[in-house]
Amino acid sequence: MLAFKLAFKNIFGAGYRTILNIAVLSFAFVTIIFYNGVIDGWNQQARRDTIEWEIGQGQLWHPSYDPLDYFSYQDAHGPIPEGMREEVSAGRLTPILIAQASAFPQGRMQGVLLKGIPPGQAILKIPTHELEAQDGQVPALIGKRMAQSIKMKEDDRLLLRWRDKNGAFDALEVTIAGVFDCNVPTIDGGQVWLPLAQLQEMLGMPGEATLLVAGEGFTPTGNTGWAFKDHDYLLADLNKIIQSKKGGSGVIYGLLLIIALLAIFDTQVLAIFRRQKEIGTYIALGMTRWQVVGIFTVEGAAYSILAILLGALYGGPLLWYLGKVGWAMPSGSQDMGISIAEKIYPVYGAGLIITTVLLVVVSATIVSFLPARKIARLNPTDALKGKIQ
Amino acid sequence: MESIIQIKGLTKQFPVGAGKFTALRDISLEFHRGEFTGFVGPSGSGKTTLLNIIGSLDTPTEGEVTVLGRSIAHLTHKQSAQLRNQHLGFIFQTYNLFPVYTVYENVEFALLLQRLPTAERRKAVLDALEWVGLTDKMDSKPAQLSGGEGQRVAIARAMVKRPAILLADEPTANLDSKNSHHILQTMKQLNEELQTTFLFATHDEKVMGYLRRIISLEDGRVVKDEEIIMDKITEG
Repeated sequence: MLAFKLAFKNIFGAGYRTILNIAVLSFAFVTIIFYNGVIDGWNQQARRDTIEWEIGQGQLWHPSYDPLDYFSYQDAHGPIPEGMREEVSAGRLTPILIAQASAFPQGRMQGVLLKGIPPGQAILKIPTHELEAQDGQVPALIGKRMAQSIKMKEDDRLLLRWRDKNGAFDALEVTIAGVFDCNVPTIDGGQVWLPLAQLQEMLGMPGEATLLVAGEGFTPTGNTGWAFKDHDYLLADLNKIIQSKKGGSGVIYGLLLIIALLAIFDTQVLAIFRRQKEIGTYIALGMTRWQVVGIFTVEGAAYSILAILLGALYGGPLLWYLGKVGWAMPSGSQDMGISIAEKIYPVYGAGLIITTVLLVVVSATIVSFLPARKIARLNPTDALKGKIQ
Repeated sequence: MESIIQIKGLTKQFPVGAGKFTALRDISLEFHRGEFTGFVGPSGSGKTTLLNIIGSLDTPTEGEVTVLGRSIAHLTHKQSAQLRNQHLGFIFQTYNLFPVYTVYENVEFALLLQRLPTAERRKAVLDALEWVGLTDKMDSKPAQLSGGEGQRVAIARAMVKRPAILLADEPTANLDSKNSHHILQTMKQLNEELQTTFLFATHDEKVMGYLRRIISLEDGRVVKDEEIIMDKITEG
């Protein structure tokens, strides 16, 4: 307690140097929480969007399906397994059929993926109700990125050409029934969504699908030959991207923290030289050397405590505000193939705050202790004379 | 009178480059409770070194120094800190007050280390400030005090714990004549009232006028050790 009392008194008495140290350290503290909050917010948003728009509660894949190998799509289809049809009828599974095709927007040719999905499905957030047949036209849905890429909008007509299961080319003009806005690029870019029955007919594959998306209440059972992919598997790439992003931002806030800690280290080194007489007097008045080391170490820790208080004072409202209004991502972020919203809403969990507080306090204490150790070896008579070298 | 410091064959050497500098040579002395004694001599004669060893801030190279029954050479850091905290007071030429503390807090510091209850601490601090006549300055910072006031705070800080021995290294070196006499009279009074042993390192003539025993040092040796008769003191 004595060390705390003395340390706080000393640092309050140190004036501008204290203010500078506390300001820099509090900035690092707030930045660390903000960066991690953004990453956590992004992580949660990306997970939520990917689950809601693409993977549901897991997927059952046709044995030949490999999403990274477009050539596999030609063979990656088959009748929905017997045991799964009841689940599809009950709305606990949504079948999706995938085929390669070419689109001809405004006379240009572009490779696309055709994806057939039941218009009445309720597992994914894709607005498939817009695929209900209307006026004899073949409705199609595209995402906002795809619409921008091919310069098409609702009610425009798009010519598609594909090869059916026998390898014969066929073509059809579809009407863009809707353009949906979603943050998951893997259901948007280069994709045209059609009614499942329409695509099955176009390909000559009635009752077939490439994968089945599971909804709430589905339990993978039985050996159907279709592999069930759970969230761990389907979100693995996303998790890796977020982890690498976390590592990158760790470098930034690590640098900030190092700058703040260097300021404290520098202050403590300087203090030990400048306050030699004070150190000698502490010892002359009856403190042990380690008690004096304790004062100087606690001073460093006290900087961090004050920095946290200051950070809470200005960072609390600021971070709360940013959590409310979100953090706009630079334009083009959505084109990087990562599920990322135009705005990320940072999430500041208790774990993040506690970890950051501990990180700042422990590291400030360590950098204060390192120079303070010198006191344990000094000769008090030299200290009283101000002769420490 | 009770003997509280015994020095036998004390030699102190400091390493200087490849060689050694001998600061004290074969010194043997004894001090009793209530003495008002000064070590006098030119700079480099070993006065401060001797005070530092008695104050357990330094250790002898050879010989034996016993303070209040404790052998200085054999004390651990913790034991010597305890000796200083409980029984020794220090006054320095430059006062060595803590600049960020108030006068009250500077004086209270030694008692904080003794972990005395707050009320007891407060009474002792106010008593000490009253001895030195600085009750009205207790909320001031050292920078707001004059040199004489600063040294009086240092005396209060040293005396607040009622030490058996008070070691004063050139306490009047930075003071004018009037303040020097004021300080010395205060110390003399405390010496008589509390029976504290005062040991000075000084070459100030004004201090010598108050001493009852003067030990002259030269090149680390005791060259003269004289008791001063009482009527001479009153003249001082």
